[in-house]
Amino acid sequence: MYQENDVRDMVRAALSELLAAQGGSAPVAAPVSAGATLAATTVEEGFCPDVTAVSTKDEFHVPDPENREGYLAMKQSTVGRIGVWRAGPRYNTWSMLHFRADHATAQDAVFGEVPEEFPAQQGFIAGQTLCTSKDEFLTRPDLGRKLNDETKRLFAEKLPKGAKVTIMVADGLSSAAMVNIPDIVPAIKQGLKGFGIDVGPIPYVKYGRVGAMDDLGPLVGSDVVCLLIGERPGLATGESMSAYMAYQPSADRPESWRTVVSNIYSGGTPPAEAGAHVATIIKKILDAKVSGVDLSL
Amino acid sequence: MSRGLGKDVLLSVGIDIGTSTTQVIFSHLTIQDMSSGFSVPRFEIVDKQIVYKSGIHTTPLLSPTRIDMAAVRGIVAGEYAKAGVDRTTIGTGAVVITGETARKENANEVVHYLSDFAGDFVVAAAGPELESLIAGRGAGADTYAKEHSTTVANYDVGGGTSNLAMFDRGRLVAATCLDIGGRLIRVDGGQITYVAPKIQELADSEGIRVRAGDRADIPTLKRVCQAMTRMLEMSLGLTPKSAFFPRIRTEQDKDIVLPGVPAFISFSGGVADHIYGSPDDSDPFRYGDIGVLLGQAIRESAALKLITRITPNETIRATVVGAGTHIAEISGSTIEYDESLLPLKNVPILKLNPADEASPTAMRQAIREKLEWFRLDGELQLVAIAFQGPRSPSFKQVGQLAQSIMEGAAELLAEGFPLVVISENDLAKVLGQAIRAALPGQRGFVCIDAVGVDSGDYVDIGTPTAKGRVLPVVVKTLLFR
Repeated sequence: MYQENDVRDMVRAALSELLAAQGGSAPVAAPVSAGATLAATTVEEGFCPDVTAVSTKDEFHVPDPENREGYLAMKQSTVGRIGVWRAGPRYNTWSMLHFRADHATAQDAVFGEVPEEFPAQQGFIAGQTLCTSKDEFLTRPDLGRKLNDETKRLFAEKLPKGAKVTIMVADGLSSAAMVNIPDIVPAIKQGLKGFGIDVGPIPYVKYGRVGAMDDLGPLVGSDVVCLLIGERPGLATGESMSAYMAYQPSADRPESWRTVVSNIYSGGTPPAEAGAHVATIIKKILDAKVSGVDLSL
Repeated sequence: MSRGLGKDVLLSVGIDIGTSTTQVIFSHLTIQDMSSGFSVPRFEIVDKQIVYKSGIHTTPLLSPTRIDMAAVRGIVAGEYAKAGVDRTTIGTGAVVITGETARKENANEVVHYLSDFAGDFVVAAAGPELESLIAGRGAGADTYAKEHSTTVANYDVGGGTSNLAMFDRGRLVAATCLDIGGRLIRVDGGQITYVAPKIQELADSEGIRVRAGDRADIPTLKRVCQAMTRMLEMSLGLTPKSAFFPRIRTEQDKDIVLPGVPAFISFSGGVADHIYGSPDDSDPFRYGDIGVLLGQAIRESAALKLITRITPNETIRATVVGAGTHIAEISGSTIEYDESLLPLKNVPILKLNPADEASPTAMRQAIREKLEWFRLDGELQLVAIAFQGPRSPSFKQVGQLAQSIMEGAAELLAEGFPLVVISENDLAKVLGQAIRAALPGQRGFVCIDAVGVDSGDYVDIGTPTAKGRVLPVVVKTLLFR
């Protein structure tokens, strides 16, 4: 506090000199005691407003817009940050904070861990790739495509051989995307059941990348593997999930062999509805015995 | 998987039987998957191309109160032949019967007969407000409002009625119809041969004498046209409504209050060419009616000049273009249905309100109660159960929805009707699969989304297009009552 008062006195002295030089008079403020300063400074217990409480679609900072309603209506069609205004060439504080908050959400989704108990709660059979830590997962994509030996043994033992369809789940680049699992998995199962197809136990792979389905495929010999995996988040959401599907996947197949449905989350394609759609695609893959670009949808 | 592969072209027909003229157009509606190819498909109508426009025929009447059905059929058949169109290739379209013609004794019969004659999935549509909407869209007022993010009113001034539709950024916000038209006073050989009763009343209320048999005096008829124009001004909220105004509304019991004065106005219909300035106004009675004079009166109205005037895409053809190209919508792209049930025509809507949707119990109860509204002579009839639905439902919610719908509609199902479900939000595929899982036996159903409907609407659902991904849908706001 003494330091602060010292600084204030210095500023006042400097100002006095400046004003004197300009021919004005020094500020008429009386000397203030330390006690009076304490009384004037109030420390509030509280929080800054949550910058993310308002969606970017509804946030609008253009002063005196020509057509506010039109601009707001246009903003509803994009998650792009338009109408955020600026201070000189830079963002305003609010826009900057919102950007940083959304970026932090994305970072959390990537670096955050799926709770250890999650696979068991969902009744999944939990395994792991060759990655042993988040850092390794992020820096060694090749290891994220291979199941570790213990996992291979476990899956070979617990999963049925030669199933028509195996649903597989992996954290991928968003732990937050697992929020979609309780809605998408039963929707896929319901849809497949409608086609007379039952789905067996679901393997879960920690530190898994899309290529991990190519490692599982030959191991269990399923006709179709459908991998539900967290998407690399952007600034719109951290919860987006993709469903990758392939007919008899293996590491020998090209990337173009995969069929994908992306953007699955509450603000994109709702997970339950996406699951119903995924079930239909799986049926088409089974019928056509091809997937990816060779599959005519 | 990429854009463009899921593309389909629908041949659409529009037939407009109006007070003065009968017209036919054919157009191509292009339906394309607008998704990135890496997400769920999203089909949209991306292009509307008119490929054939008929001549403008005089609407054949047997008497002032009856339409000559055989002659209308002849006109339509002739235009199909001239265009080289086989009725079995028609994918969608609409027959509309507009203006005074819609009030002829046999209008209902004619329009339904023609819709069957025109193609399998051609709908019959009518009703003053729907007519306004169709003409407004045909004139392009909705597109202008959307593209310029503004409000636009279109007035379709025809022979028997004037249809007002107001759009706010593409969305219809108000529609009405007045008994004002260019053919409501007819003139032959310098003599007035016919004055429509309501126009007679209007003239009388203004102290202007016009009677059938009188000499066609231009200054007098101009005054009548100015009085008619004032009715249009009142409907737009430009001047206070007179005591007579309610009389001139086509639907006497429905008042019209616009949400505000529109920023722009366009005029379509047969009279419009004379509002924007016709190449030849020298003979005011060239059509044997007051159409030219009415156009001039509207053009010169000081009040109407307060709204910035824009040129419509179509004038006399606005309604037929609207009917042929702007009536059909398409459902959402993830849906479930049994093809054997399609097409479905004239299915009345049982709409649930937000309170009905609040809980599974409320929903079940509301469906049961509202089904009773559709009981005719003790017999239930096919209805479509429509609701908004949650934005991103959990799987559990979907199961409850399916359960509520099936329990609520148990009586309908027991009597052998198929289940038709329409939601606004994107959930039809998962809901449809849930219904399929729970429906007893091989009962048929149709479950679609991305379609907004209201109580009192009727819906037509066509046969699948774009490789079965989407169904063409026509929502008819008002049929004959």
